[in-house]
Amino acid sequence: MNVDIQSLGTFNQLAHEGAQQATQSLAQMTGIDAAVDVTKITLLDRTDVGEALEGREFVGVQFEYEGVLEGDTVLVFEDESAETIADSMMPGASENPEMAQSAVKEIGNIMMSGFIDGWADYLDSTIDHSPPTYIEKSGSEVLPDAPDAGDHRQVFVFKSEIEWVGKSVNFYIYMLPEYEPLADAMVESADTDDDAIPIDKLQTFNEMTTSGTQQAADNVEMMTGIPTAAEVTQISFAPIEDVPKQIGTDTYVGTVVEFTGRPSGYLMVLFDEVSAVNVAEAMMPIGMDEDELTDQHKAAIEELGNIMTSGFVDGWANVLQTSVDHTPPRLVHDMGRSIVDPLAAQVGQQQEHAFIIDSTMRTDDIEFAAEIHALPNEQELRAALDDLDVERADQTEASVEQIFE
Amino acid sequence: MKVYDGSQSEETQNAKSKRLKVGIAEYDVTTEPTAMLTTSGLGSCIGIALYDEPTGAAGLVHIMLPTAEDVEGGNRAKFADTGVAELVDALEALGATRDTMRAKIAGGSDMLNFSENGSSIGTRNIEQVRATLDEYGIPITGEDVGGDHGRSLQLAVDSGDLVVKSANTESVVL
Repeated sequence: MNVDIQSLGTFNQLAHEGAQQATQSLAQMTGIDAAVDVTKITLLDRTDVGEALEGREFVGVQFEYEGVLEGDTVLVFEDESAETIADSMMPGASENPEMAQSAVKEIGNIMMSGFIDGWADYLDSTIDHSPPTYIEKSGSEVLPDAPDAGDHRQVFVFKSEIEWVGKSVNFYIYMLPEYEPLADAMVESADTDDDAIPIDKLQTFNEMTTSGTQQAADNVEMMTGIPTAAEVTQISFAPIEDVPKQIGTDTYVGTVVEFTGRPSGYLMVLFDEVSAVNVAEAMMPIGMDEDELTDQHKAAIEELGNIMTSGFVDGWANVLQTSVDHTPPRLVHDMGRSIVDPLAAQVGQQQEHAFIIDSTMRTDDIEFAAEIHALPNEQELRAALDDLDVERADQTEASVEQIFE
Repeated sequence: MKVYDGSQSEETQNAKSKRLKVGIAEYDVTTEPTAMLTTSGLGSCIGIALYDEPTGAAGLVHIMLPTAEDVEGGNRAKFADTGVAELVDALEALGATRDTMRAKIAGGSDMLNFSENGSSIGTRNIEQVRATLDEYGIPITGEDVGGDHGRSLQLAVDSGDLVVKSANTESVVL
């Protein structure tokens, strides 16, 4: 089954407009000033859906829908903001749990009806949805079970993040469609197959990225002695101007390289400042016991970034059977978004949308998290996937298993 | 459970100065004197702030690439040439005139320029912004461009002051 770039773009736009419509309904009913920050389509392992929500409490509404698309969708608010929303609809509602629930249900129903109707209109078909169910859970538990992937190992998820302007809380809309009806709808809406990507190969690519991330994590362990594990690996698709928003506005430390070959593009290895100091300390023979990031820390990060990059890129090159070279790493220490922005601009000279490959790794021993983000040239990635032969892809699977043995 | 425990002053401040967030490849204009137009994470991108004193109208656009020439259709606010044009049009719709508009620009850093020949996107963005503003006859009265660091911006609508923040250096007021 093939999916073309254009229909990925269209579906992304559709989800974005739906989220915008939902946000406008919220603003009209409550006076809350909110804006849709990011909308993206992500292909990931079904068990990794909702990782970004960990550690927070949510309330919201869930709907089932069926018709041309089938599945579940949720709208969730961080629980603190839900109280404010309830009060803005019915003053004092947050004092009374029942009233608060019904306020959330009502606003959720109005927001999401617009979202679902927008999809049906575009697909020129009907999508029926169930009445809203109130939900109140923590982290990714707030999301419905990802659809059974069946023969497919991974699922598509549409995710919109809505920012409450001037506040540090967010709303999220997740739409988890069943695989087959979605794939059919995407194929229907495709104009040409000039730029088609076989979905199965996209999944294989995701798996090989996982193996690249594991290699990078092994390299961290080798350098620091700290057991480090690859966590989520996902491939997302978004308009080029949304690419920098994938990274937070906090300050990051890390390395950036340009890679050349097929595909070409950019690869970032980023640490938050606390993680950077912790991991750099672990690499030094004598602890500096400094909380501030020093030049020695930065030198250690540069070395580590280089080794992580090599591990990651080698993982790709092995499977694609191409050679992928990279420049020496450039050390960066700046606002996250401004690091990504020049790279997105470079890529944006040739393309309107981009694939973004994101991986994370973590360790339990110290406070440490690293993110790897790759921004490949879309046409070259498509060509490389086209050439990816299935036998070779099977070997990747075997090697992934070997790594985890 | 209280919602905004201890952050009363922040709320009051928010009520006084309404923040209008301008995303990448977006613009916004206002005549609301208490408003603040903001944009964040400028690397090679440029934020162009236009201020028209007689009407008190202000606008901010966050452009990403120099020119829309090579690209069909798409979002006009993404490019320096068409982005400035959109912003000028939007301010004129609020009653402002080009003769009295003043520009302040920030961004266009050279960070992460991997191209070995030719100038960086940051440099080309700056050149295009200057050229387009010149075509409109709008003078640049303040700028903080180039270098190798990221920037975030806040434009105060009442004064036309543009605050430029960086991760590792002091803020600058243009």
